[in-house]
Amino acid sequence: MDFTPSSIPMRVAAATKTITGCSTPHSRRHITMAAAALTAVLLLSGCGGGPASQGTENAAAADPASAANASGNLNICGGKDASGIYRGTAAAFTKENPGITAKFTEIGATTDEARTQAVQRLEGKSTECDIFLLDVIWTSEFASQGWLLDQTKLVEANKDRLIPSTLETTKFEDKYWGSPFFTNAGLIYYSKNRVSRPETWTQLYADAAKAPGNGYVYQGKQYEGLTVNFLELLYSAGGEVLDEKGEVKVDSPETRKVLDFMAEGLEKGSADRAVLTYNEDATRLAYESGDYGYERNWPHVYRLLNATKLAGTFDVAPLPSFDGSSKASGVLGGWNLGISVHSTNPGAAVSFINFATTPEWQKHVAIDFSQAPVNEAAYSDPVVLAKMPFAKELLASVKGAKPRPVSPVYPQISQAIHKNVYAVLSGTVGTDEAVKKMAEEIKTAKASF
Amino acid sequence: MTLKTLSPGPRPAGDVRSKRRTSLGRSGLKASGTNVRDRAERRLAVRMTAPSLILMALVAAVPIGYALWLSLNQYSVRTAGLSRFVGLDNYSSALASHEWWAAFGQTFLFAGLSVSLELVLGTAMALLLNLAFKGRALLRTVVLLPYAIVTVVSAITWETMFQPNLGLVTNVLSALGLPGGDVAWLGEQGYAMAVIVLADVWKTTPFAALLILAGLQVISAETYEAAELDGAGKWQTFVHITLPLLRPAIVLAAIFRTMDALRVFDLPFVLTRGANGTESMSMLAYSQLRENRLIGEGSALSILTFLTVMAVSIVYIRFAGGNIREVAKEDQ
Amino acid sequence: MSTVTATGTTAARADRSHPTRRGVASLGPGRRPGKFGPGKRRLRGEARLHPLVWVFVVAVMSFSLVPFYWLINTSLKTGSSLGEGELFPSQPTLDNYVSVFGSSEFLLAMRNSVIIAVVTTCVALIFASFAAYALARLKMRRKGLILTLILSVTTFPAIAIAAPMFSIWREIGLYDTLPGLIIPKLTFALPLAIYTLTSFFREIPRELEESAYIDGASPFQAFRKVILPLAVPGLATTAILVFISVWNEFLLAVTLTTSPAARPVPVAIAFFNGTSEFDQPLGTISAASVIITVPLVVLVLVCQKRIVSGMTAGAVKG
Repeated sequence: MDFTPSSIPMRVAAATKTITGCSTPHSRRHITMAAAALTAVLLLSGCGGGPASQGTENAAAADPASAANASGNLNICGGKDASGIYRGTAAAFTKENPGITAKFTEIGATTDEARTQAVQRLEGKSTECDIFLLDVIWTSEFASQGWLLDQTKLVEANKDRLIPSTLETTKFEDKYWGSPFFTNAGLIYYSKNRVSRPETWTQLYADAAKAPGNGYVYQGKQYEGLTVNFLELLYSAGGEVLDEKGEVKVDSPETRKVLDFMAEGLEKGSADRAVLTYNEDATRLAYESGDYGYERNWPHVYRLLNATKLAGTFDVAPLPSFDGSSKASGVLGGWNLGISVHSTNPGAAVSFINFATTPEWQKHVAIDFSQAPVNEAAYSDPVVLAKMPFAKELLASVKGAKPRPVSPVYPQISQAIHKNVYAVLSGTVGTDEAVKKMAEEIKTAKASF
Repeated sequence: MTLKTLSPGPRPAGDVRSKRRTSLGRSGLKASGTNVRDRAERRLAVRMTAPSLILMALVAAVPIGYALWLSLNQYSVRTAGLSRFVGLDNYSSALASHEWWAAFGQTFLFAGLSVSLELVLGTAMALLLNLAFKGRALLRTVVLLPYAIVTVVSAITWETMFQPNLGLVTNVLSALGLPGGDVAWLGEQGYAMAVIVLADVWKTTPFAALLILAGLQVISAETYEAAELDGAGKWQTFVHITLPLLRPAIVLAAIFRTMDALRVFDLPFVLTRGANGTESMSMLAYSQLRENRLIGEGSALSILTFLTVMAVSIVYIRFAGGNIREVAKEDQ
Repeated sequence: MSTVTATGTTAARADRSHPTRRGVASLGPGRRPGKFGPGKRRLRGEARLHPLVWVFVVAVMSFSLVPFYWLINTSLKTGSSLGEGELFPSQPTLDNYVSVFGSSEFLLAMRNSVIIAVVTTCVALIFASFAAYALARLKMRRKGLILTLILSVTTFPAIAIAAPMFSIWREIGLYDTLPGLIIPKLTFALPLAIYTLTSFFREIPRELEESAYIDGASPFQAFRKVILPLAVPGLATTAILVFISVWNEFLLAVTLTTSPAARPVPVAIAFFNGTSEFDQPLGTISAASVIITVPLVVLVLVCQKRIVSGMTAGAVKG
């Protein structure tokens, strides 16, 4: 063990000495002698913010040309590698680029934890990670904190091979801060013997209420999943949360319509009140019991469902439009690749991103790891189709989907959405009050310091 | 030997004895002034507490002080590296918010329900474990099992037990024709809190039971024999002898259980994510600090939680009595 | 020995002293198993178990075991049967156990957890018994303040501490090491241990130490030779409580480690792979949870004999 008690004080002293330069005008004014020890720690952990670069305008950019002669080690950091795609891609990349050794480091067991761990490293200016796996909803937050290299040039160079909707999730203040790695979009699974293919949400809800075994299950627990489920309906009804200028537009007739619709669905039996406790996994397990007609979930469920007694009894459809009068639309999930500003090997990182987004590797994304590719051609590849028979539906969902509200304060916006939607669904707050509160809270969030 | 070096040196033993015997009060001892021994004893006390206090100061003081500093600032979530000193603003806005007081009330409701159930049940369990009967070792192990389960896993277990159609509880209720089988327990106001309280009682009653059991161990058989001779009934013996003698152990269990219950996080986080009136103070702090990365505001909420818990603990120690209060009152 | 010497004066003082001391004061002689044969007592106790008490025994056992049964039930299921909610698995399988034991990372985590919990518990008992003796028995200024400071260490929300600790640990090289986990866990376990032991030491009659002083013992010798042996039930209880709380602690463990080499069991369980980012592998998580209760059961079996020391077997009648 590389630890002896006597060495600690020396190391602390050494650590304290190395601290220089990172301070803000305000902290300088208020720190007193007595707080000197505290200051050390404050500075150690990065002043609670990133480097002193202001805004996203002058951010350092990743140079596409730097990939050419890249060599050395590359560390990719992300959450749990359930499908094996992170390690698999790193290994394949290393094999193809012998000069670079890429490895994957699992920094969090859950998505929330992976974000916390990434933030802690970035705030501490750690050079441990060159690439961070970014949930699509983190990109603007990380970009605004100055933690990511500007990838605009790289994305422009690779644009032809990437599905446009997936690029929208990496965009913040007119620049691209990441490259899409694999995407995700909601699908409707339905029992083809009992209910009809969902063409509109109104039809789905009506069919679901017709018989006890037709019910619809979705993610209604008070968390990010409910935000996604609500936004899918809102977008397909033509509503929005923020407009293109970033103004709050959620207090709208569409929002009210969708909320009333969802609440009515619970009252009339289109959906069980049990959905108020469901996340993705509970939704899947409930549908696997065979007691339901429709399920909203992600593509990974397909393989799992086929391993149950329900194999052959269900079909897959893209998310429908609301009532036929508006376009079908969903919400994009998936993961982007961001390059840390503290990376010591950005050239290798660019090289890795180029590799991961090639049409060839994107086929492997689907074939080897059952994830949704960000390259359109991959969806019509015969091997991919054999592995993912619903690839056509998935592509339709992905292409029609929009990102969740793009904002550095997205977590607060999402909370304002799922808390208020939940209040309406559980029947504790009326629609009108909830919509006003939602809009108010999102405005407050946007006005955050 | 270490013993020799640590011991305060030769001391007139007989002198101490007579002093203690004649003047029962501590003040008497002080007044008569056995200075050498006094100083030696104080030195020993300092030496014996030093390892713990130094470790705590080294490890805990800096992060705690840092959190205090953070709570006096705001850190921009929109612009890189921007922060400003705001004094107590984070505290005043937290105290003016509906969320804080809702979480405050819900946390106290949870703590009140779960701790009182745990103490009653824990005392009963301890009495049971103290009985001499065959299979006591088995009972003792079984009773402790829940406490040994990792908290998050126990939360997941309770979540699935109460899931409509899938769970143990809901299935059994349906099979028995009882109501509740089709209720989404965690999706309803009131029921959700009940499940969380039940899960906490299940998991942590063994903690209380164990402390109280150890308290029972130091009550001697003679005490009971004396009560028996006086003709006291079992219930009278329990109320007038056992319970008062158990007070230090019960108060101790109450302090630590209440402290933990007031900081409850895992259970509501896994089971409801704070929906249906189950958001706790710690969850609110977590959501600001971690999810929203409002570092100043979140730190202020953490410190408010901390102050609340400390206040309750101190009130407990002062008014519930027990050995800790006696120690705390000694300032010699 | 000294315990016997003390008994003479005990009875006389007992009536005047604090009620909590009264019963305790006669603890010394009561401990002598020779005087009150435990065998006789045990028989009397057994004979007197009321049927209602048995009902209560069964109720307590069921309450403790039913969720545990559900956990075992889940651990015997795989794939889609996990979602079927059967009260008895129709096709029980040990696959989950096999895969847990087949995972080198889990075995490494078990090793880490055992090292962390054993070292932390032992050191905590030593540190805490010192501090508790000083607080319970010795003359000292500002005991109230010291107790408050000690308590505040555990009362502070861990989420507010985790982030700065992460930065400091990285700077001083403790990040992702076993000592890096033992040190903070020890710190945050100490308050519970100190409070518990302080309370227990107070229960031990002062007369016993005083007679040791008469025999020429120093306060430290009195602590080691008189107090510690008498406090064994309290020490064993504290050991169990500290061990379990250290064993189960999650937040610091996940914040301060990054590789399987230092990860303890609760974190390793969280890293078990499901089939996708959206699902938790309930079967293997349950199997691992069942497995890791085994060391704790062993601990309880070892410690419980110490909790019930000679004199108290069958002491409570009703």
